[in-house]
Amino acid sequence: MSFSTYLNEKRQDCRELVEALGKHFQYVSILGTDVSATVIRADRKMSMVQDGRGECGFVLKMHNGRSFIEYSLDDISGDKQALAERILRETQVDSKLQSKMIEAPVPADEPMKQDFSRENDFAGYDDASLLDTCKKLSADLVSRDDKVLNAFVIIQPYHVSKLFITQNRELSQDYGWANGTMMVIYNGEKMSQARFGDGAPSIKEIMEILNSGMDQVIDLARHLAKAKPIEPGVYDVITDPSISGLIAHEAFGHGVEMDQFVKDRAMAKHCMGQYVASPITNMHDGAAATHSVASYFFDDDGVLAHDTQIIKDGILVAGLSDLASAAQLGTTPTGNGRRDSYKRKAYARMTNTFFEAGKDKLEDMIASVKHGYMLFQTNNGMEDPKNWQIQCTAEYGIEIVDGKLTDNYVSPVVMSGSVPELLKSISMVSDNFKVIGAGMCGKGYKEWVRVSDGGPNLKVRVKLG
Amino acid sequence: MSRVIELLKQNSQLSGWRVNETATKSYELFFVHKNLETVRDTDTVTTGVTVYVDHDGKKGESSFELSAAMGEAEIQKKIDAAVQRARLVFNEPYELPDGGVLDKNLPSNIWDADPQALGREIADAVFAADTVPGGSINACEIFLYKDTVRVRNSRGVDKTQRIGRVMIEAIPTFTKGTESVELYEDYRFTEFDAAKVTAEIARRMAEVRDRFQAKKPQTPMEISVLLRPMEIRNLLWELADDLNYSAVYSHGNLHKTGDDLQENGTGDKLTVTLKAQVPGSEKSSWFDTDGASFRETRVIENGVVGSYYGSSRFGQYLKIQEPTGNLPCLKAEAGSMTKADMKAKPYLECASLSGIQVDLFNDYIGGEIRLAYYFDGEKTVPVTGISMSGKLSDVLKALRLSSETVIEGAYEGPALLLMPGMKVL
Repeated sequence: MSFSTYLNEKRQDCRELVEALGKHFQYVSILGTDVSATVIRADRKMSMVQDGRGECGFVLKMHNGRSFIEYSLDDISGDKQALAERILRETQVDSKLQSKMIEAPVPADEPMKQDFSRENDFAGYDDASLLDTCKKLSADLVSRDDKVLNAFVIIQPYHVSKLFITQNRELSQDYGWANGTMMVIYNGEKMSQARFGDGAPSIKEIMEILNSGMDQVIDLARHLAKAKPIEPGVYDVITDPSISGLIAHEAFGHGVEMDQFVKDRAMAKHCMGQYVASPITNMHDGAAATHSVASYFFDDDGVLAHDTQIIKDGILVAGLSDLASAAQLGTTPTGNGRRDSYKRKAYARMTNTFFEAGKDKLEDMIASVKHGYMLFQTNNGMEDPKNWQIQCTAEYGIEIVDGKLTDNYVSPVVMSGSVPELLKSISMVSDNFKVIGAGMCGKGYKEWVRVSDGGPNLKVRVKLG
Repeated sequence: MSRVIELLKQNSQLSGWRVNETATKSYELFFVHKNLETVRDTDTVTTGVTVYVDHDGKKGESSFELSAAMGEAEIQKKIDAAVQRARLVFNEPYELPDGGVLDKNLPSNIWDADPQALGREIADAVFAADTVPGGSINACEIFLYKDTVRVRNSRGVDKTQRIGRVMIEAIPTFTKGTESVELYEDYRFTEFDAAKVTAEIARRMAEVRDRFQAKKPQTPMEISVLLRPMEIRNLLWELADDLNYSAVYSHGNLHKTGDDLQENGTGDKLTVTLKAQVPGSEKSSWFDTDGASFRETRVIENGVVGSYYGSSRFGQYLKIQEPTGNLPCLKAEAGSMTKADMKAKPYLECASLSGIQVDLFNDYIGGEIRLAYYFDGEKTVPVTGISMSGKLSDVLKALRLSSETVIEGAYEGPALLLMPGMKVL
């Protein structure tokens, strides 16, 4: 697949609209999006091949010399002067609010023209073959154990084309990503639901991931059907890369989104240059930090992707910003301005967030635990950037006794407590590393964007319940 | 919508079609402290098309979205591609809902208001609550929406509804010296009442002051935990979701009709009804995405699963004579205990949770508590830094519901739910 023909045809319309609005505003940008997604799904009773959640439209961002104004619309065809006048009219502010508008510097508009394209293999797979794969995998899972009530297999490729134009800047990008997911419903000692999935830049890799996970998801379903609730308490814990990523994301990532600094909503604002984690802790975020689901060329503000080191040897060194927060803070935007879609505002958001690998061997880490748990698979989490409390839920844990993993599964497992206490308790960091590119992240309870997170295994001490 | 419908009607390969269109105009204000950072306006239309193809004794369907700028040739191409996809799908046959023409507004005083003036009035109402010494509203986002939702299908459904709605996201904060705490407020309504908005934000301003004073109590402890409406709604929806026709059809549900969720229980019996509308709720609707009308349904009666609910398609799969539609709102019957009686003995009342965690399959309920009020039998103090957990089945057996009821969001029911014997750490 290649860059959107539709957006290519709209380049001149974009330029003309930027020019028309430029007579009224000191800065004007337009972002055009054409995102297509496909959902291919099969279980023992149904199948599906259809478009997934995509988007196609435009959002304008303007600066009137004081503050920001945005306008989202589906199409920009027709008379640009008339459209500019409509936008001016509809974005008016009540006179009593005008005096309350912030005074932020006009964003820089450095000249740049570049087109970015990342190849993928999507065109090599047709709907029929992908559905056939899902059906076969589902049937295979169901056939492995008569206690499997149903098995869902889902492949979701999506393709992103974005066009960004200002008076001095014209950028385009197109890239793809695919997610693969399996879920087994199992009726053992009790009902259980076991999940397995990941993301990858190619469908070939997704096929390999799904095939490699068949035994694992069935085995997990059997164990979860016997899983017990955990006895609440404070434990030594070894995290798998998914849970390490969840900690990076919820415990700290949201707290360094710098639009929260502007609003005095983040404790991290006051902790720059201070130890916030154990000295063996290093953490990054960035669309350019690794190749995963949130690896774009430029963000939704037209800022090029970065690799931002957030924590260096336990010390907080940087945050993540969008254009508006960077303007207000007087910093350089880090390429983290992201939108749920063209219909929504850009905020400072995470992209690919992870801890760096360390030097410890996983087996040594497990061996070091007298009694504790190894936690697996992200379920959900909730941030609290101001007060640095966390809630991270793992799908399951396996008890560790005398340095060995047992066959005792617990589910679900909710980690909670204080962020600095958790991060400062990191005592071992494994030498392996994995980023899981199948996540969605909200800000508060809205504004969903695709993210990845991960890292090595960590040894921490934390409250589980 | 009419262009695509003409093309769908001309396509002889189709056995049916459905078009869902949502036109949204919004006006949005983003405040940093009391200053306006960004003003947004949106004017968008989302058009979703589903084609149905009967083949080989089965039914195939496939959906796609139209973009506003698509010409006739592009739309035709999308239809043809969807037909090919539908031919790959071999699902059990079902009929689309038939007939029914409707054009109706949902109750709201937002629809006719001037967005720019109303935006300012809402902002005034929010910041009028910013009167607590040491308190502030560090961020506030105000979204005014006007949605027109229309569903048409090949069997004569043509239904339109309009709703004006508002969402406020506000961050009440309390600061003393270098210490500062916040709470999160997500307030949604369809009828603007300035005094009500100010009162709601003021309530949270008082609570954030309490969070500042809150301490971690002595733990571990075992105590009755009181849930407020938002968490009660989330708990009851977890039970209700399990009873959706689609979950039952795909073997993904835990409970079956006739199951006693509170067997040998000593608490109040749960009676839960799913409804089309709750006054003031943005989720209220006249019809679901299929265009099917709703049939109010009691899914749990006296603790026993009474009925499933869901869409026309999955209802037909389960041989339900009159499917209920995918009902969006929930009502729970009042209990036998007054709020005062609930608070006569030691309790922990959750005012702010990270999010209640309910896991039916693993028989778990719990969550991290950001602010709660702890009554030890003598005095009530704000507490923080704790988490609670328990067995869901134990909670269901012993829960008590307040006799006082409230309407909040898409929930109508007891103001408090008491869960005895929860473990707090």
